[in-house]
Amino acid sequence: MSRVNVVISSLITLLPLTAVLFLLREAVGTDVWSLVQDETWRASLAVTLYVTLVSTFLSLVIGTICARMVYVNGRTWLSFWLNWPLFVPHIASAYLFYLLFSGGFPGFGLIASNERHHLVVILTYVWKEVPFVFLMMLGSYAQLNRGYRDMAKTLQLSPWQQFSVAEWPFLIKPLLDSFWILVAFISFAYEVPALLGVTFPKLLGVLAYDRLTTGLFLNESEAYAVALIWALILFAGVLLSYALTAKRRRRIERGVRR
Amino acid sequence: MSLKVTNIRKRFKQRDVLAGVDFSVSEGEIHALVGVSGSGKTTMLRIIAGLETADAGTVTWNDISLLGVPAHERKITMLSQTPLLFPHLTVGENVLLATPDRSKADAEQWLRRVRLEGRFDAEVHELSGGEGQRASFARALAASPRLILLDEPFTNLDPVLKYELQQLIRELVADLGLTALLVTHDREEAMLVADRVTLLENGAVRTTGTPTALSAKEPTFGDFIELDGVLYPLTRIEVSREPTGEPVVLVRELTRFGVRLGEYRRLSGEYVILPCDASFEVGREYQLRKKQGVVEC
Amino acid sequence: MKRILFLIVLLLPFIGLFSSMPAPLVFDEAVANTIVHVFVLAGLNVWLALGTAWWLLFTESRWRPFVEWFLFLPLFVPALASTFGMYVALVRFGLVGTQFGVLTVLLAVTLPYSIRIAYNAMYVIGRPLFEQALFLPPVRRVQFVLVPLLTETVRTIALMSTVVVLGQFVLVQLIGAGLVPTVTTRLYHVYAGNDVSLALQNTWLLVLIPALLYGGIGYLMRIWMKVMKGRLR
Repeated sequence: MSRVNVVISSLITLLPLTAVLFLLREAVGTDVWSLVQDETWRASLAVTLYVTLVSTFLSLVIGTICARMVYVNGRTWLSFWLNWPLFVPHIASAYLFYLLFSGGFPGFGLIASNERHHLVVILTYVWKEVPFVFLMMLGSYAQLNRGYRDMAKTLQLSPWQQFSVAEWPFLIKPLLDSFWILVAFISFAYEVPALLGVTFPKLLGVLAYDRLTTGLFLNESEAYAVALIWALILFAGVLLSYALTAKRRRRIERGVRR
Repeated sequence: MSLKVTNIRKRFKQRDVLAGVDFSVSEGEIHALVGVSGSGKTTMLRIIAGLETADAGTVTWNDISLLGVPAHERKITMLSQTPLLFPHLTVGENVLLATPDRSKADAEQWLRRVRLEGRFDAEVHELSGGEGQRASFARALAASPRLILLDEPFTNLDPVLKYELQQLIRELVADLGLTALLVTHDREEAMLVADRVTLLENGAVRTTGTPTALSAKEPTFGDFIELDGVLYPLTRIEVSREPTGEPVVLVRELTRFGVRLGEYRRLSGEYVILPCDASFEVGREYQLRKKQGVVEC
Repeated sequence: MKRILFLIVLLLPFIGLFSSMPAPLVFDEAVANTIVHVFVLAGLNVWLALGTAWWLLFTESRWRPFVEWFLFLPLFVPALASTFGMYVALVRFGLVGTQFGVLTVLLAVTLPYSIRIAYNAMYVIGRPLFEQALFLPPVRRVQFVLVPLLTETVRTIALMSTVVVLGQFVLVQLIGAGLVPTVTTRLYHVYAGNDVSLALQNTWLLVLIPALLYGGIGYLMRIWMKVMKGRLR
């Protein structure tokens, strides 16, 4: 029974992966050098990196702290409340943040002033992704043997050392997973930045979709090329980071006591 | 008196896990806290370590209260059921972590003392169960504790390794002049390892005393015999023929590895062999010689 | 005090939902499409993810590490990039502008997350507990052990896949070629206009659908547990 599921799941999974190959086909003929020199794309890349990294970093830190507060400090009430943003699709949360910051409420005129720091986009992502990271990290904390922490305490280690030997090594893998999932998701998305972002520079996903769909798909190869290059860059990043941590992760997996 | 526990109370989910426990541990002794599962012994240990807080009562070391002192400042270390060596560090690094001045020479010295010389760079997963516990013990000692807590450290070991670790702990605790508190459900283990034993029942102390004294007044602790100041378990052995003339005994069960075969006498319907110089194994037959009313090997 | 401050920050965005009266709901093609998408995809995600995670965790196969990597790989491909690629691919098969095309692509986007959730949940529950269930006959095994154990996982998968599905504007717009309207695509067009009450109507729908589904599954599972315990006694 489960074998049928695996076969179907694999076929479905094949779709987004082969999609990358189709992108390669469609991107043929694009002048990559002129793309690199295009001021609009370059500005877009810079702002995308900024929004992605800030949102991802904040989400990882806050989500992990919240999971830790539930698991280590017993603040279970957090689990209930942090579920709430999970019920809101990204596009709807973008609209909620739009309403909140577009001047409808006193003191929040951030969108109206077309602010350059993309703060509302970042806030929307952080609000949506913190519960996601929280869920991932809560699972990791549930699997973590509490004995390690007790052991670190009784070995007379300082609180910081306790965290660094009895928690951090076990969090590397889930944090790495979450990091790349969030980076892939945030760095090349349309809905949230299109609704909330400023008109220039646009985020990479918005610019690519706009270039693809304006003028009856005349600029399509350029958009496909950007999508492909970005997917490959992320893929290289994923491979590199997993390769660099492989030895350490394997060591932990083999020596850990559940 | 070093460690003094007075009227400790702890309630979990409407149940008194500890209902006013008093006992004390003298400096340099191994004290065992014995009880069945749910008797509150592990909770007591965690309260002493600072990993749990008591609802009432005091824990003092040389009359200075430990309550409110965080676990990592109590100078109390612990050895648990599983080694719990940090898997991202090597065996030596685990010991180094606990060594106050991070001296590699000291860490190597500790490994030598638990007979793990040359294993500084070994990975945690390369150690066997017994080696892991020994490394964990070295790490606990390296932190220079004033008290070491032993939380059922022999539970997951086979009889041979269990015996070796018991010997090692006794030897090192005596050599270093340490104080140790052993928590166990195994009464025999407590009798053999500890200098004094406290029996916990339903969250309260039922009795306390030296193994010899307890052996005499508490039949549930099993049969022991003291020879030259050391307590030995009376090993139950099935004798395949009545021991008239030259009896042959089949060793069916050993309660302690390495116990020596010696005199024999009949006790409550079973044959009991007292220690002598030859060690024996389960499943093998041994010829016994009868001499002046006792049987020798 | 800290708790109150935290809750204010966390729940503040919901205020927007009450900023004005939403327009009355009209049950049109977009709503119908959305409901069909949600039910079909939640069901498929639960079924495929549970079976696949089971295989990944409990089956001995030399292909296992490879399949595991392969199944989680799409999580690291930016959704918009794979949407572009899938668009190019599906155009060739004439699937752009069809319900089937949209559903397939939505499944491709959600399934890796669902497998991940199922995998983590089953890992935490652990092999020994599932192995205990193997002593029961298949029907009783599912009825008395697997469903109760995996209730929360089923709910989470349904919730996450629904929320991801409802968040896809570009994907539905591109693969559906504008011929498969959903609440999400309509919402996006409404945002461009300035009708707050109409936009709010759609936003309410997007928030309520996952919440109702989550609550509904929880309710069904509670009934299941009640019936199951009744049969046991």
